[in-house]
Amino acid sequence: MIKTSWCLCALLAVLAPALAAKEELVTLPKRDKVQLTIYNSVDLTLVRETRALTFKKGNNRLQFSWANTLIDPTSVEFRAVTSADKIEVLDTSYPAESHQMLIWTISAESDLSATVEISYFTSGISWAAEYHGMLAADDSSMTLTAYVTVMNNSGEEYEDAQVRLVVGSINLVETIAGLAGGQRQNQRMEEAYGEMRKAARAADADRKKDIVKEGLSEYYIYTVGGTETVPNAWAKRLESFKQAGVPVRSVYTWDTAKYGAQLCRILTFKNDEAHKLGKEPLPAGIVRFYREAGAGRLGYVGAVATNYIAKNDEIKVNAGSDPEVTLKITRSSHKKENLSFAFNGRQQFLQGWDTYDQFKLELKNFRDRAVEFEVNLVFNGDFDFESELAATKVDFRTQRYTLRMDKGARQEVVYKVRTRFGTNARK
Amino acid sequence: MNKRILMTFCFTFGVGAMISLLNPTPADARIKLATLPDREAVVVRFDNPNVVMVEEERTISLQKGVNNVDFSWAGTQIDKGSIIFRPADPAAKVEILSTSYPPGEAALTWQISAAEAMSVKFRLSYLMANIQRETDYRMLVSKDEQTCSFKHYFKIRNWSGGRFATADFVTRDGKKFEKGLENGEAKRVLVNSWDKVKLTKEYVYDLTRQPEGKVLTDYVLKNAKEIGLGSIPLEYGKVRIYQDDGSGTTAFTGEDWGRFTPIGDDMRLNIGIAQDIKIEMKKMVNDVQNRRGNVYDTDEVDEYEIKNFKDTEAVVTLVLRVDGEWEMKATTSGHDSFERVDNETIRFKVKAPAKGTPVKLRFHYQKKNVW
Repeated sequence: MIKTSWCLCALLAVLAPALAAKEELVTLPKRDKVQLTIYNSVDLTLVRETRALTFKKGNNRLQFSWANTLIDPTSVEFRAVTSADKIEVLDTSYPAESHQMLIWTISAESDLSATVEISYFTSGISWAAEYHGMLAADDSSMTLTAYVTVMNNSGEEYEDAQVRLVVGSINLVETIAGLAGGQRQNQRMEEAYGEMRKAARAADADRKKDIVKEGLSEYYIYTVGGTETVPNAWAKRLESFKQAGVPVRSVYTWDTAKYGAQLCRILTFKNDEAHKLGKEPLPAGIVRFYREAGAGRLGYVGAVATNYIAKNDEIKVNAGSDPEVTLKITRSSHKKENLSFAFNGRQQFLQGWDTYDQFKLELKNFRDRAVEFEVNLVFNGDFDFESELAATKVDFRTQRYTLRMDKGARQEVVYKVRTRFGTNARK
Repeated sequence: MNKRILMTFCFTFGVGAMISLLNPTPADARIKLATLPDREAVVVRFDNPNVVMVEEERTISLQKGVNNVDFSWAGTQIDKGSIIFRPADPAAKVEILSTSYPPGEAALTWQISAAEAMSVKFRLSYLMANIQRETDYRMLVSKDEQTCSFKHYFKIRNWSGGRFATADFVTRDGKKFEKGLENGEAKRVLVNSWDKVKLTKEYVYDLTRQPEGKVLTDYVLKNAKEIGLGSIPLEYGKVRIYQDDGSGTTAFTGEDWGRFTPIGDDMRLNIGIAQDIKIEMKKMVNDVQNRRGNVYDTDEVDEYEIKNFKDTEAVVTLVLRVDGEWEMKATTSGHDSFERVDNETIRFKVKAPAKGTPVKLRFHYQKKNVW
């Protein structure tokens, strides 16, 4: 077990006249409770810990040190949870000989015991989302399991900590890792901390056995039920939720702008109630897809990284190409028409023309089940599009075919494109 | 509360149920006492074209409460993020609470809650690198080149660091075979065999495939039931071609890469150059017509003289290309059939008589609106 690299020392002696005295009698109150609020958009974790301390009437000195950790010294705060009206922080000293220590001078009205909270920011703790999608054999639905993994490289072990994870992007004006290394704080930083602390306190939730998700301003806070211990340099993965029977649509998509010049199988589902989801946004993370391979066995489909998916938003995951479903576009004829000429003196030269091309789109489904296609065709310039099969205009230069083809089917679609060049172009 | 029972299974030494007196803590402080449950029912799947998935079953004795189960894979190439661990029976009264990853180790620890003390069969799946697979084919062509036997081999080579005393290996088309495979070992297995497959032989002139203008000899296999194939998509792989020489032995006649061929598609295999068929091309007409400023048309005739020195007639395919806007003129002659494959490509079939009697394909075309 890693030894804690910092200690909290309650100096019960009456305030000494000077800090130079080194003989100290200290007690080491243990952490009663610790809460980690971990942000994934920046390298920042808010640590709030509570400890029971005994104060004597008069001034008490409380030393807090954090050697070999990544704590931001500008962020350390003291707050009395009980007897708050009887305890007052008179000043905070940062001894010259140590950059990873501070001493609070605390005034107590009488001899008393109090629960105090110390909070601070540390870097080095992060979390990430991860998903497993177990597709049914026909790809029509899946069981989606979401995980969160907490990684602790902060230099400190937090035992039995309540863990809360913040989904969203916050603004920081200085990095915590930089401040932990001794950079100067500034006013804006303190203001930012104050706002985040308020937000974190406001989001306090009762402990539950599962991961509770709550919205807060522009963020979401996931509270992991119970407590967790993540030793320094370890990572820990916890299940966030599991949902069976999520309907999935699988569409073979041709979209060169998004997926390059290959036909890709795009798995689509929505983060909404109709898809048995939609209870919370889904943080960015890796999605790994597996497929039932019979007798409870699994086959691997592929993995993709997704961005943050808001509630009710649609998720499109590129599961890659499939050699058994093919698309081929060939130009079957090419003509130049409507040539117009101008004269420069006695010299005639071409000033405008059309190209009139006929294309053949061949789709083949060699799979043993029906599949859906979405083919997006993009054209440049001043063009007219003619097609035997109805297409949908997606934007001023994109036409889309949507088709469904039975197993083993082949289909050819012929379309023609007239493009005007030179003085023939109208736009 | 945690039972402080740490069950470990180490990939390289089999599965281990391990009793530890410590919580999972950093790598240098982990003291383990392990029993090693055997690996059962190992399946190595190749159904993804890019990665190999291993699934194994292990029976683990759990105590009532929370158990720690350790899995380590030192020296093997397991993708940590891909690991899935679940009870083989989804109704088993166990719950996987968390997964912890110690620093600097190829290992993880699951916390498993058990409703009561029991033995539970778990299924463990993961992607494993450095298990290579390769498909190859052996084709034995009859002396008359009308049919062939076609054998499909699957070769696996294990550089993963892991050992498989025995495992079911599953190919992409679902074919399963049971083998043992040591680290560093390779095995080649016959997985499919088809006899009396009808094949087509083609002589092809195509400058994009053979820029010197030599005639290629191709075998074409349609992956379809009507010729004796068509039961599975054919994977990409090398095809070695032998021919029955009529005297009880075979001769190696060439090899080619067979592309991935779905059911219903063609696999075209080049076995080499047809030395007995020669084609000479001459441009006989190349006129400019209908000039308008900087725009003009052309009138062109390309003549292909084909000589077949074999003792029997041969049908030769000429794949010719013309860029831009063009049309073939009706005066084109000497061909048996033609197909405009796409705007730029036309394919002629020409019957070439035996014993060197020349035949000429006269390809007459007009290019339009050239500038």
